[in-house]
Amino acid sequence: MADLSIDFAGIKSPNPFWLASAPPTNTGYQVQRAFEAGWGGAVWKTLGEPVINTSARFAAVHFGGQRVAGFNNIELITDRPLEVNLKEIYETKRRFPHHTIIASLMVEPKREKWHEIVKRVEAIGVDGLELNFGCPHGMAERGMGAASGQQPDLVQAQTAWVKEVATTPVIVKLTPNITDITVVARHAVKGGADAISLINTINSLAGVDIHSWNTIPNVGGQGAHGGYCGPAVKPIALSMVAECARDREVGVPISGIGGISTWQDVVEFMLMGSTGIQVCTAVMHHGFRIVEEMIDGLNHYLDEKGLASVTELIGKSVPKYSNWGDLDLNYQVVARINEENCINCNKCHIACEDASHQCIDMLTNAEGKAILQVREEDCVGCNLCSIVCPADRAIDMIALDNGAAPMSWNQRSRIISGVNGAYSEAEAG
Amino acid sequence: MSAFAEFDRERQEIDNLIGLGYTIAGIYEDLDGARVTFIRSEPAGGPVELLLLTADARKHVTTLLVGRTRQTAAEIHR
Ligand SMILES: Cc1cc2nc3c(=O)[nH]c(=O)nc-3n(C[C@H](O)[C@H](O)[C@H](O)COP(=O)(O)O)c2cc1C
Ligand code: SF4
Ligand code: SF4
Repeated sequence: MADLSIDFAGIKSPNPFWLASAPPTNTGYQVQRAFEAGWGGAVWKTLGEPVINTSARFAAVHFGGQRVAGFNNIELITDRPLEVNLKEIYETKRRFPHHTIIASLMVEPKREKWHEIVKRVEAIGVDGLELNFGCPHGMAERGMGAASGQQPDLVQAQTAWVKEVATTPVIVKLTPNITDITVVARHAVKGGADAISLINTINSLAGVDIHSWNTIPNVGGQGAHGGYCGPAVKPIALSMVAECARDREVGVPISGIGGISTWQDVVEFMLMGSTGIQVCTAVMHHGFRIVEEMIDGLNHYLDEKGLASVTELIGKSVPKYSNWGDLDLNYQVVARINEENCINCNKCHIACEDASHQCIDMLTNAEGKAILQVREEDCVGCNLCSIVCPADRAIDMIALDNGAAPMSWNQRSRIISGVNGAYSEAEAG
Repeated sequence: MSAFAEFDRERQEIDNLIGLGYTIAGIYEDLDGARVTFIRSEPAGGPVELLLLTADARKHVTTLLVGRTRQTAAEIHR
């Protein structure tokens, strides 16, 4: 069995599986049951100014037979008094001294407010702090959460205020509702952040009831934008993690969040630069016990790969994530249809005819059977046919050796401008 | 018409000029395609302009240029 423990910016944790700050980490009862189930850490439901929540507040997007492909909420931070939360954090830490408890915090952008809350939560012995600059609804209207998180200077200043008094590591949780995540991440680091976590939820409207014409969810017939999470947001979260992981100016450990529900998702986030991960929606959907499968799966995977520690995964795929301009334009793949696995549904033919390069021919073979064949010289290797094909291994994408040396867009542009420069000089001279 | 045939025709035009001793002297790209200018010093010829319409031919012409740049670099280092 591989070693699953991690050291996240100085915070020791028995495994990389943390619960994200959300309904599953609302009480000591829940967090203790989660630790018993196997979770290595929990980021407590965000503490801050007393708030009041609405009813209803959650909605889900079910897609193609899958329930909760995406999840949406208009919930705010904890609505339980700070004193009660602190007592329960203290109790939980006492019972589980080797598990990780992070306090998630959100207050108004005022220095003394941050100092006060940091001192109070650190006094009861948390392992670290997570600053919530991500919540996109409710708190944002009052200048907190994403309203702060969308202003890089405010993120930097507030992080610095926290660092003035904090004695434990400070994680800054980022909002995805911005144009370039690395700008805010860099400012968090300039403010002194020891680590970052991402993503919080994405602005969304889950749906509209076509019969009542109400938004989903609705609060007495009125709706508001909420935050989107769950499996649907994973690709967005993963790319934002990757952008931060490859940015030299960010350079701090990352806690990956967003749509993680299987051990494979965890491996992907860690390969793309996360030191640990956090989960919310999957636990809301399936309960704490999903962690058992995640731990088992990760253990088997690490054994199979011959890795002694989960930390050996961290960042291994980051060098493979670059810019479009540096990709090899001469690299070539083509589709090849395997007659023996094809069920002749014609989906690939239609997709290629209507949406790609019209290069799958309908032919008849020697036995008079209808077959499909790719005209490889016209195939641009877009992958579409293999994406829509419902049969296993009926279409392979094959790499061809076309003899051309690698050439990227950037290389091409540099060379063309060089040639044009030389030509104009020759013309002039 | 097969996309490959269009590319193949353009590639042959490029390769023909190169075979005749022409070199690529300039490339201007606009919405119509890439206008590639070829010149030849011995015997003097050109400029000849080709308008390349296919993406693959545009890749081909710059692949030739990349190859030439690499070769020149290798010769300098020798
Ligand atoms: C109902 C709900 C409440 C949430 N409350 C908080 C919160 O109080 N503080 C916080 O930082 N994030 C909060 N989040 C965001 C999650 O921590 C997490 O960043 C997000 O849901 C993405 O992860 P997931 O796809 O695993 O759910 C909440 C999410 C949901 C669904
Ligand atoms: S990879 Fe794209 S272009 Fe090639 S056959 Fe499939 S759909 Fe057509
Ligand atoms: S989509 Fe797949 S199974 Fe259907 S015809 Fe094409 S190759 Fe065959």
